[in-house]
Amino acid sequence: MPLLDTRNLTKHFGGLAAVSHVGLTVDEGEIVGLIGPNGAGKTTCFNLLSGFLRPTAGTIVFGGEDITGLRPHRIVGRGLVRTFQLTTLFQDMTALENVLLGMHLHSRRGLPQVLFSRRRFPPDEVARCREVLEFTGLGSHADRLARNLPHGHQRVLGIAMALAARPRFLLLDEPVTGMNLEESGRVMALVKTIRDRGTTILLVEHNMRAVMGTCERIVVLNFGQKLAEGTPAEVSTNPQVIEAYLGAGVERA
Amino acid sequence: MPRSAGTAAALIVVLALLLSLPFVGGDYYLYLFALVFTNIILSASLRPSLTCGQLNIGHSAFMCIGAYTSALLAKNLGVPFEVSLLCGAVLAAAVGLAIGYPSLRLRGVYFAMVTVAFVEAVRLIASIWVPLTRGNAGLSGVPKPTLLGTTLATRTSQYYLALFLMLVVLLVLYKLEHSRLGLIWKSIGMVDTLAQSLGVNVANYTLLAFSLGCFFAGVAGAFYAHFIRFLFPPEFGFLLATNILIYNFVGGRGHFAGPIVGAAFLSLLSEPFRGSPYETIFFSIVMLATILFLPGGLIMLPGKLAGLWRSASGTYAPSGHA
Repeated sequence: MPLLDTRNLTKHFGGLAAVSHVGLTVDEGEIVGLIGPNGAGKTTCFNLLSGFLRPTAGTIVFGGEDITGLRPHRIVGRGLVRTFQLTTLFQDMTALENVLLGMHLHSRRGLPQVLFSRRRFPPDEVARCREVLEFTGLGSHADRLARNLPHGHQRVLGIAMALAARPRFLLLDEPVTGMNLEESGRVMALVKTIRDRGTTILLVEHNMRAVMGTCERIVVLNFGQKLAEGTPAEVSTNPQVIEAYLGAGVERA
Repeated sequence: MPRSAGTAAALIVVLALLLSLPFVGGDYYLYLFALVFTNIILSASLRPSLTCGQLNIGHSAFMCIGAYTSALLAKNLGVPFEVSLLCGAVLAAAVGLAIGYPSLRLRGVYFAMVTVAFVEAVRLIASIWVPLTRGNAGLSGVPKPTLLGTTLATRTSQYYLALFLMLVVLLVLYKLEHSRLGLIWKSIGMVDTLAQSLGVNVANYTLLAFSLGCFFAGVAGAFYAHFIRFLFPPEFGFLLATNILIYNFVGGRGHFAGPIVGAAFLSLLSEPFRGSPYETIFFSIVMLATILFLPGGLIMLPGKLAGLWRSASGTYAPSGHA
């Protein structure tokens, strides 16, 4: 049984079918890429899976349970965690505080402890967050404000926060966009390590080198529909896919 | 946040001054400062909800509920002050929950409009429900506060009661703000979608911040009722609600001390105009001046002055505290 299974997933915005009849399956332990030209419905798909949008039709089954229409925080509770495009962070908090928020669901601390303890956070939670920062290579930046980190580090911090929520399944929205070759290589290596530690990954990315080098399977969307699916080699030689990318470019030029 | 020895020393000095005020000043100053403490409770209790990014322009409604509840329980049923104060606060929080549950799903200006409508509604109910509240004739003869059966008859004892209440409220609010709860509130105010995507139930936490504020506004109202001993509905209207908001903005929103400094500064400085039309003009001018010249509020003033001093003396010295 796949870990994630969508059937007939559809989302209409007024007359526009942003996503229509998409069936997406991801098995436990896979790294799957979701690609497609701009406006193909990738981000809408992410918003549907993470509960930020309610599908017009179709179902989302995660870990054998129907999670269609659950609110975002409930979906996170089931172990499906997302990151955001660009640098969506709590800019005026330190890197450590950002990750502490990621641990939100796993904190067990009652009101009496809050009111009568001298420590802001239990040492074991802080230690775990430092571990996560260490693992993602941000160990030495724990006490810097998120806004003062370089772009690449900010993007990695977004991933670190999601990791603190202990995801079974991680949705990464453009994790390496805007990064140079070296940075993106490092992040994609990190993504592989996360998978090797037991988290299944679905990622949206425009950087084809990164996608082809990392994903084992790729799903191509175009105009809200699934256009093709297969290994990187299959997809990159698929004439329909090439046409979708180049054709769209020619039309707009 | 590392608390420097300087801050601790300043807090001890302020506390010592406040504790010794009854030995120095007359009844008028005790009266004035007890009202300042009430304003500080109101101002600081609005902060959690502001931190969540919700603009509440109706905080005085919850003070009104606390005040009338406590006053009527004590006056008509002879309930002791400790109990009536708690009832007032709990009812204010309960009404806060009932109002907040449907309306906190709205954000920004829409939520603000609900609170404006609500504060006017509460004021009108207090004016119209004459058999219970005596309406605009005012509710007089509210008993003085009592403590364990003893009436706090002197201004000095009432002053210490106000000081005690304020310190307890501030301590609780401080602890909450500097816990995970405070961090969650801050995160909701910054990027609520990101908070959601980390598993935060945004609606519930915003509601908690809001009704907690209502509870403490109820405490302030209950104390006020037994201290002034006369309740008059128009006093709890829109004007007071905007003043509470202005305390927060003038004091500064970036730090826990902001609403406290703002409330103390504005209440003391506006004292000569209290009750006159000039009060509103004064508040507006201070508010505008703050927005124009000191957008971070009064709490940014020391840092800014230090910066000016450094650039004037032409030397660079990194500041010790952020």
